[in-house]
Amino acid sequence: MDLDDIEHSFYNRQSLLFLFYFLGKIMSLIHIENLSKHFSILNRREGLGGAFRDLFSGDYRTVKAVDGISFDIDAGEIVGYIGPNGAGKSTTIKMMTGILKPSGGTIEVNGITPYANRIRQAQIMGVVFGQRTQLWWDLPVIESFKILKEIYKVDQKTFDEHMGLFNDLVDLKKLYTQQVRTLSLGQRMLCDITASFLHNPQVVFLDEPTIGLDISVKAKMRSVIKELNQVRNTTIILTTHDLGDVEALCQRIIIIDKGSVLYDGDIKKVNSLFGAYRTLKLQIDGYNDSTLQTLQDAFTQKFGPEHGIAIAATEEFWTDVTIDQARTPLADVLNFIMTTFTVSDVRIVEISMENVVRKVYDGALK
Amino acid sequence: MRKYLAIVRGTYMIGMIYRLGFLFTIAGNVIYLGVAYYLWKSIFKNSETLRGLTFDQTFLYVGLGSAIFILLKTYTDWFMNSEIRDGSIAMYLVKPVDIGTYFLATSFGSLLMNITIVSIPTILLLLFVFKVKFIIGIGLLLFPISLLIAFFISFFLDYFVGLVCFYSESVWGLSTTKDIIVTLLSGGLIPLQFFPTALQNILHWLPFQAIYHTPLTMITQPDQSVDVFLQMIFIQLVWAVLLFMATRLFYIQAIKTVRVAGG
Ligand SMILES: Nc1ncnc2c1ncn2[C@@H]1O[C@H](COP(=O)(O)OP(=O)(O)OP(=O)(O)O)[C@@H](O)[C@H]1O
Ligand SMILES: [Mg+2]
Repeated sequence: MDLDDIEHSFYNRQSLLFLFYFLGKIMSLIHIENLSKHFSILNRREGLGGAFRDLFSGDYRTVKAVDGISFDIDAGEIVGYIGPNGAGKSTTIKMMTGILKPSGGTIEVNGITPYANRIRQAQIMGVVFGQRTQLWWDLPVIESFKILKEIYKVDQKTFDEHMGLFNDLVDLKKLYTQQVRTLSLGQRMLCDITASFLHNPQVVFLDEPTIGLDISVKAKMRSVIKELNQVRNTTIILTTHDLGDVEALCQRIIIIDKGSVLYDGDIKKVNSLFGAYRTLKLQIDGYNDSTLQTLQDAFTQKFGPEHGIAIAATEEFWTDVTIDQARTPLADVLNFIMTTFTVSDVRIVEISMENVVRKVYDGALK
Repeated sequence: MRKYLAIVRGTYMIGMIYRLGFLFTIAGNVIYLGVAYYLWKSIFKNSETLRGLTFDQTFLYVGLGSAIFILLKTYTDWFMNSEIRDGSIAMYLVKPVDIGTYFLATSFGSLLMNITIVSIPTILLLLFVFKVKFIIGIGLLLFPISLLIAFFISFFLDYFVGLVCFYSESVWGLSTTKDIIVTLLSGGLIPLQFFPTALQNILHWLPFQAIYHTPLTMITQPDQSVDVFLQMIFIQLVWAVLLFMATRLFYIQAIKTVRVAGG
């Protein structure tokens, strides 16, 4: 092999890398790099006097709502975008939808920069903000849909098909003539979801679409979202505080907190994290100061020192027993407690968003 | 274009749904007309004409002025203020619509609505209850055109103030001031002829008179030469175009600072 060849292969390698890089960029529907959004807000003082002094105040503080996040999302994915309150989820979504201009970084959806091409972006996306409706408050449901049909230039045939589909899925027709403001929360949310898919968008952003819904409507909602993703290959970004939604819908999740990405990857890994731990809440009869120690000793005696059970008193009369099921099965612990102590009440609590995030913070996924 | 027509239609429908509210508007209008009638009657007690206007002309000016006031007041600034404050402005921003055109369409929907429910009854009242006499003249023909341009001017003023909300998030004071200035300096309350001549000369160069005074003059003094009216319409057009451009430029700046609250 002479020098020419080496150089040649080097070039090939280089161009191949470039090719992959660009393909990656072309193929991912959403490309976000080092994105940030900082708000500067006036520190308001308390009281009437404070409000008056605020008039002349220059006391600003910066809130880094989103602080340098990067990720790529491919067409057809359902991604759970989760994190505790105030993490920056809605702010990111507002930037992806083009209604907020980022303070820094790049963001591209389908190759275009959302805030600079707001109208073009709006045509290819659907949005549901759980707390507010995008329908016309004062109009009957069907009239809202008719306006949306014109706004998104949906032809009659597609419109009829879509409304038909939703009729089958969630029995929408009975709400048609009702004013939007008179709908119940769940009914309104179903209408909003229907609206967000009306123009067959490439990507739909769902910011807390299951907030305040009862179990059956929630289940309906999940199956609708799943169905649309499969049938139409719609990309879906889902924000929620209900880990059940995430488990039911997403293969991939992105966890953010304080404006930064903590975890981005397969849900299975996180699943094992919150799947492995279960917390038992116990009300033990004759509870006193030494109860915790008694429990601790009993567990060590029964299951050995490596039992993986943490005990804490969280509220009055309640004792939290958190079990790492990888080490000790829940059933064994429950069984043992029930036979050894007199327990007046037991609850098994689902692990909360906050706990997952805390665990991720503590490096559980590294 | 079709999308904005759908919005015009939707707003019209909302108006129809709340038609009961218009009964109050009409009732209020009747009371206003009654008060204005006796007020101006007493002013005209000792003279046939004042400032070149007869009582009939003045009352027509004032009475029609109130009907047109309801037509041309778009409340766009108030809507935008509340929608920016509570974040529901996001509802428009996530749709493929231009915000200015969207609000123009809703204002136009209300305009059509108000014509059917408020203005036509008021005109009927003026004709058959207060028995005012119209003078016939070319101005009557040009009146609808002038009114339409006046609507645009009024809208652009409101929209401009509405855009300020993107910066200050509360424009209550500004809106109120604007409303008072427009009502007073446009001839919406008192015919401009009754203002001091010096002030009239200044007002001539401001956009406000193009909102009420111009169309109202076409109705109350329609028997002037076509040239006079065409010149008036030309001035209206100039203002409409200038304000349109001003709002466009302002929008481009304002939209960059948008902060959508909530979520
Ligand atoms: N317009 C604004 N002005 C100032 N600060 C803001 C603004 N919008 C958001 N923030 C701040 O940015 C941070 C992120 O807010 P964001 O709404 O994105 O959180 P979130 O992840 O959606 O939370 P939640 O789960 O509670 O909805 C918060 O600390 C919030 O106070
Ligand atoms: Mg949020």
